[in-house]
Amino acid sequence: MATLQLSALQKRYANGFVALHGVDLAVEDGELIVIVGPSGCGKSTLLRTLAGLESITSGELTINGRRVNELEPAERDIAMVFQNYALYPHMSVFDNMAYGLKNRGVPKDDIRRRVNATAELLDLGALLDRRPRQLSGGQRQRVAMGRAIVREPQVFLFDEPLSNLDAKLRVQMRLEIRRLQKRLKVTSVYVTHDQTEAMTLADRLVVMNAGRVEQCGTPMALYERPATRFVAGFIGSPAMNFLPVTVHGERLRLPDGGELTLAAGLEAGSALTLGVRPEHLVALDEGDATPEGGAVIQATVEMIEPLGADTLAYARMEGLDELLVVRLHGEHAAGEGSVLRLWLSPERSHLFGDDDRRIEAHRATPVTGSRG
Amino acid sequence: MRYQRPGLDLASHLLLAVGCGLFFLPVWLAFTASTHSMSDLYANVAPLWVGDAGLSNYARLIHDPVSGLGTDVLRLLANSMVMALGIAVGKIAISLLAAYAIVFFRFPLRRLCFWLIFITLMLPVEVRILPTYEVVADLHLLDSYPGLILPLIASATATFLLRQFYLTIPPELVEAARIDGAGPWRFLRDILLPLSKTNIAALFVIMFIYGWNQYLWPLLITTNADYLTVVVSLKRLLTTGDALVPWQDVTATAMLAMGPPVLVILLMQRYFVKGLVETEK
Repeated sequence: MATLQLSALQKRYANGFVALHGVDLAVEDGELIVIVGPSGCGKSTLLRTLAGLESITSGELTINGRRVNELEPAERDIAMVFQNYALYPHMSVFDNMAYGLKNRGVPKDDIRRRVNATAELLDLGALLDRRPRQLSGGQRQRVAMGRAIVREPQVFLFDEPLSNLDAKLRVQMRLEIRRLQKRLKVTSVYVTHDQTEAMTLADRLVVMNAGRVEQCGTPMALYERPATRFVAGFIGSPAMNFLPVTVHGERLRLPDGGELTLAAGLEAGSALTLGVRPEHLVALDEGDATPEGGAVIQATVEMIEPLGADTLAYARMEGLDELLVVRLHGEHAAGEGSVLRLWLSPERSHLFGDDDRRIEAHRATPVTGSRG
Repeated sequence: MRYQRPGLDLASHLLLAVGCGLFFLPVWLAFTASTHSMSDLYANVAPLWVGDAGLSNYARLIHDPVSGLGTDVLRLLANSMVMALGIAVGKIAISLLAAYAIVFFRFPLRRLCFWLIFITLMLPVEVRILPTYEVVADLHLLDSYPGLILPLIASATATFLLRQFYLTIPPELVEAARIDGAGPWRFLRDILLPLSKTNIAALFVIMFIYGWNQYLWPLLITTNADYLTVVVSLKRLLTTGDALVPWQDVTATAMLAMGPPVLVILLMQRYFVKGLVETEK
């Protein structure tokens, strides 16, 4: 049981490359923090500095209030689960799990008891004599988890532990990790580039970009109120649509000439970005009345991706270079070439300034001038 | 790939058999010669079948000092064994540590160290034999086991092979061991050594035979019969001046000299092939 505190943590490599530009983060006891970001954003480096596998250039890292910057990985009382599991190939499952305890001088009887208990917990009891190479991917993954759990560490660190598994197993192991973490209540930091994994596992989510923390909060908070355009584009699948808009008096002019009113003292003439998620664009049927507020835009469907429960439509909107992605309900019969009337709700829209930061402007007033 | 052509099978097996026969014939001739008496050998052409003096020839060589050598063959074999084992074990121990340092530790001039070791591959014993002799003589190591072993104990080949193997070990394994609290020595003992078992076995076979077959160096530094090795003794048995060459002794000693290397290969061939072919990860 532990808290983890990162203060202005910076990592600069010998070649001058700065991988972490001062990261601040407080992880509470028993919390599962997921760090997510594109490759090269520094999320793995961050995890490795927590583990002690990379040195910290400046800033401070404390576990339970104790400064651990200078401590060896083994002295930090952490356990790490690696992407490729990193099991010792010449040791049995039992020895793999026992090795860390043995090095700490835990008595033999204790080791046996703890390994057996952990094996029970992970359903590995029948595999204790096997070598890693005789195990399936999912079993290896569980052994790697077991090796971490058996140590009863203060903090678990997970480095993309599920990315070597196939899709079905990944979902299953994701649930299992969640279940175990809740049960053991061990403070955990989990790194992934898979945003579904991130959304479903996290108590709190940290989105990183280019060595900085872009935003930190609960998954739904990040989904509903992304602080930057980067977070908006990264969280949610398919990604958010971005429309360039300009401010005309009280209104925002859309690329196709339509207008939308958001009540905020915006500087006239400034170029902003409006973001709207594919699932928040509402397709209106023939006879539907235009809802109050927002704007209606027209777009021609160029491509359809049926997913079963719903359908993704890639549609061309006048004045926009990229295709608009719209999530339609499964039964919606939008053929390629058909024209969609899409309602853009002000409540569900996000506005970003030219510095890509969020502008709180979605207190909507009634519509004017939509061309629908 | 397998072809379903019995003719081809037959022809290739025939070729194989002829090849084996050609290689085996000299060994067989040496063996038969070692079982005849000296007078037999000089009276007839080279015998193709075993004679009746075999047991007495071998017993004499093992029990009594051989004329012209001043010691019995058992002693020669023991000397060779000490030298070959010393060289093989020493080479492996040193290369293991050298490769470990080069691959897993960051220290200044690491790259230079590796290349310095590597270029010694191009300098065989014969090239540096005079300075080496000088050094060994100054250290008063002539006619001694250390003198036989030490100058041959460093091996660029083994260092290089082990380095290549170590490089294939995933860095996460090293990191997992660090988190598990294994320091450098423990990592070497618990993880690296067991993983390189087959490579070490293969190197042992190669290095043992290399050590066993050393000729020039032992010839140069041993004058005392107590430190004579069996390979060197063969040549000495042949130089008899005006007397007849005792071929039954020469061939019997050669047969005995072949024993240990053959035994090492037979015992270790399973690991030997594995170590050269696959990397177990």
